Amino acid sequence: MRCFQMPPQVFRVVLLIFAIGVSYLVARTLLTPASFHEYGFYRGAALAEHTTRHEPVFAGKLACGVRHPDVLKTLAKGGHKNLSCEACHGVVSPQHLTDPTSNMDKPSGAICLRCHEASPSRPAGFRQIVVKDHYAEKCIECHLPHEPNEVP
Amino acid sequence: MSLQLTAILAEVAPHFDGYVYPNESGSHPLWGVLIVLYPYITGLVAGAFIMASLVRVFRVKALEPVYRLSLLTALAFLLCATLPLLLHLGHPERSYQIMITPHLTSPMAIFGFVYAWYLMAVLLLELWFDYRGDLVNWGRTEPGLRGFIYRLLTVGVSDVSPAAIALDHKLSWIISILGIPSAFLLHGYVGFIFGSIKANPWWGNAIMPIIFILSAMVSGIALCVFVYMVLSWRRRRALDMRCLDVMGMYLFYALVIDAAIEALDWIHRAYSAEEGFHVMEYMAQQRLFYTLSIGQLLMGTLIPLLTLGSLQVARKFVSDAIRTRLYFTCAIFVLLGVLAMRWNVVMGGQFFSKSLRGVMSYKLEFAGAEGWFLGLMLLSLPFIILTVLIKLFLSQSLLTSGHVPHRPDPT
Ligand code: HEC
Ligand code: HEC
Ligand code: HEC
Repeated sequence: MRCFQMPPQVFRVVLLIFAIGVSYLVARTLLTPASFHEYGFYRGAALAEHTTRHEPVFAGKLACGVRHPDVLKTLAKGGHKNLSCEACHGVVSPQHLTDPTSNMDKPSGAICLRCHEASPSRPAGFRQIVVKDHYAEKCIECHLPHEPNEVP
Repeated sequence: MSLQLTAILAEVAPHFDGYVYPNESGSHPLWGVLIVLYPYITGLVAGAFIMASLVRVFRVKALEPVYRLSLLTALAFLLCATLPLLLHLGHPERSYQIMITPHLTSPMAIFGFVYAWYLMAVLLLELWFDYRGDLVNWGRTEPGLRGFIYRLLTVGVSDVSPAAIALDHKLSWIISILGIPSAFLLHGYVGFIFGSIKANPWWGNAIMPIIFILSAMVSGIALCVFVYMVLSWRRRRALDMRCLDVMGMYLFYALVIDAAIEALDWIHRAYSAEEGFHVMEYMAQQRLFYTLSIGQLLMGTLIPLLTLGSLQVARKFVSDAIRTRLYFTCAIFVLLGVLAMRWNVVMGGQFFSKSLRGVMSYKLEFAGAEGWFLGLMLLSLPFIILTVLIKLFLSQSLLTSGHVPHRPDPT
């Protein structure tokens, strides 16, 4: 009885596919980055890489609150409680941190419009104004930026 | 105030008209010309392969002269198909990681499987079984590096008995049959990526994979016409007019179906007045006028459709020389039209806001990773590879066994 013989070309192809498969598996175990499954389906080390690559830009509300606890407190009471100081005042400059007397620029009324100018893409309940129907520029003459709920 | 306001807006959203969400207001769209080339190149692969299977599976005898050419064309383009994606991702030093960390539930990552299957299991195997007999013979007769390459490619199998060759042809035929659904899978997959994005009315569409496959077939056949004609001219050989006529015929049929399905898609959207139709209408009439109405519709579809259509009817009355020129022009128009179609799909889908009420303007740049210069380089790379492949495997100085299509035994 002659047992089944694989034709040579088919045999070589099967062998080749097997070899490719095995070398792929070897490459996979050797080359997969060490931190790959640390948190999920990505390189855990990528997070650390990013934090070192980009200097933090904003100091954050609590940092401002160290020197301005009063403002922090008043702000927390009104409609602007969820805003960070830097949303209106801009990024804290390094000089301001080392030398508090170096004033940051006082924001003008224009900053208010970034959020309050009427736009249909804003949520319906959001307080919006149409600037030219609303006393125009000098918002701060009537509104207290830190206590927007105070009705002027 | 209004001055300051515009200053703020100018800083935030430099390229938009109308209403857009803040997170959409990047300085450029996320996907650029590289992602346009990706479906284009994969489509050409799938199309050229289907062209080759007309010979193998459907036994269209007249296309015999372009069988190997279209397979090699498919291979040359397939070898470049991943490049646009990898270039787009950047970080060449990490590009291998995408291959060794396959992901089973991410539609984007599935491309690795689709690609590997198509390259390894379908195209290379079919080519190998088709060429094996010739490779053995050439390995014996050709000297030097050339002969060495042929001998290497035989992977040590030197059996060229009629029985072995018959087996080769049979296997190649089976793979070819497997290859047709695979080619559909390859390009249907690319359409699926876009079609599954529900939030985007331009993309989210169940017939997107079908549109992609049909346009792939159209572009693939046009590419084979183009490559065949250029090769014949370079070699100063007479064109096989019958082969060319049949290619023109299939190009016409594919184009008819493709145009019908794409038109149906638009009619359906217009009639059902889908939410996003207004913005699509605006895009077609204004923002994408040149690429969609002129490039895709007029140049890529209507002109070739009319020319090829009238050639089907009045072939006898048109002289060979004129017919050749008409086929060539149609092939180029179709190739450009399908490129425009890919641009319209990929870029068009990003040009309008998810609010459906804002539109972005975008200027294609010359330099840079998403510039048109790199795109052009990338698009010429498969042609360079194809030239090498043709030198190696379609050289006129080599004797071929002459390809005999496999006929399954009636017994
Ligand atoms: C809604 C925008 C807004 C936010 C949020 C905001 N500020 Fe102000 N802030 C202003 C404006 C506008 C002025 C200028 C008032 C003026 O000119 O009278 C100001 C003035 C100030 C001053 C100057 C003191 C004064 O009363 O003249 C300090 C200090 C200050 N802000 C601190 C803070 C701190 C700390 C926070 C965060 C806890 C904060 N601000 C959050 C808009 C804001
Ligand atoms: C970073 C965005 C932002 C900026 C800048 C901003 N606001 Fe507001 N403002 C808000 C939010 C958020 C609310 C709360 C809205 C709500 O609760 O519906 C609010 C609420 C208000 C209210 C209504 C408070 C109430 O509930 O009665 C007033 C008035 C107001 N802001 C005035 C101002 C003025 C004046 C400025 C400029 C100094 C300003 N805002 C700048 C985000 C902003
Ligand atoms: C002349 C004083 C005055 C000036 C200047 C002024 N406002 Fe007001 N604003 C008011 C008064 C009064 C109200 C309360 C109206 C009400 O509750 O119906 C109000 C209400 C608002 C509200 C809440 C609207 C709502 O629908 O509840 C916002 C937001 C607001 N102002 C923003 C601004 C901004 C931004 C500016 C600067 C461009 C500004 N205001 C300038 C007097 C002023």
